[in-house]
Amino acid sequence: MAIYIYGIINSNEGIDRLVNGLEGSHVYNIPYHDIGAAVSNFHPDTKEFDERINRSHIFVHERVVEKLIERFTVLPARFFTIFYKKEDVLSVMKNLYGDFRRNLDRLHNKVEFGLKVIWPGEKIRKNIIDFHSQRYSLAVPMPDNPSLKNFIRERYVQYKLDREIEELADSFAGVIDDFFRGFAHEKKLEKLKTKNLLLSAYYLVDKESQDDLKKAFERLKKKLHGFMYLLSGPWPPYNFIIQTKKPHSVKNAGKINISSKIFQKRIFSDILD
Amino acid sequence: MTMNKKVETDSPEAFIEEREKYQDVLPKRINVDPKNADKGLARLFLTLLELIRKLLEKQAMRRIEGGSLSEEEVEGIGEALMKLENKIKELKEIFGLKDEELNLNLGPLGDLM
Repeated sequence: MAIYIYGIINSNEGIDRLVNGLEGSHVYNIPYHDIGAAVSNFHPDTKEFDERINRSHIFVHERVVEKLIERFTVLPARFFTIFYKKEDVLSVMKNLYGDFRRNLDRLHNKVEFGLKVIWPGEKIRKNIIDFHSQRYSLAVPMPDNPSLKNFIRERYVQYKLDREIEELADSFAGVIDDFFRGFAHEKKLEKLKTKNLLLSAYYLVDKESQDDLKKAFERLKKKLHGFMYLLSGPWPPYNFIIQTKKPHSVKNAGKINISSKIFQKRIFSDILD
Repeated sequence: MTMNKKVETDSPEAFIEEREKYQDVLPKRINVDPKNADKGLARLFLTLLELIRKLLEKQAMRRIEGGSLSEEEVEGIGEALMKLENKIKELKEIFGLKDEELNLNLGPLGDLM
């Protein structure tokens, strides 16, 4: 028998009958001081273990975490984190208690929202090329060799174009971020993950501020036309957990990281099914 | 338009398309299967080499933008970058690797290719 962990919570009390976990299992709390690990028992049949892992498990994991977050502050565990003994769970909680406690205090009563913005990247690039690239004159003496001269000129124009696009992206990202600045305790912004994905942002907000954030989103859409927007949440604070210490290795602790691709795609897969 | 209680967008397909562009840009694990070990390692090596080339090129263009280089210095920089680019192209052909196989998402630097 193994122990499947959903997350660390800010409670050492029982959580029986709150929600069912993977394969209908009973979710319970393993307490340590004033925190606990929300877990359920799991029976990995080693021969067919990998084959049993599917999207429904991801949804169950997510549902358990969301149920927990209604009542507690939760530090969600990565999908399919398992341990083979209760002592191993306690060992990790003992080893990382300081980190867990600090995160639980910081994230108390807060949720995460995600914002993505697509801009017309190709069109903007073309506009800059058509109307601005004439300004990219080289202020250095060029070599006589024509192929070398062309090579340098081409790379220089590309460099200036990329710089101009980055500056424009910074500018727009700043305008967009202004709409949410007032609500966010913390934020993470990533610009131009792709040519068209102008902004990918995560905001940590109080649970009570959720409606205000959604109203700000509506105002943003009215203000900046020609862009595409996606707002997701509320989520547990996946992107705001700060870990300063790594756990000591625990003998026979299993850690199967199916997570990223399958789990993150889940946000969109249930839209299209 | 709210697709479910968690996601609000009018353009789900557009966001899925963008996500798929950066989702798989990390090189696959090094293939240590004896038949393909060479190619797996070559891919990793050339990805890193291409990263260095791009960084050097960016630095060179900044210096050119600064306007303080002599003709000889510009020539030297240009020649070095050209040779490096050609050498990487050659190695890609030898190992049968395409440009898209050498991509990495570099965060603030954008996609490598």
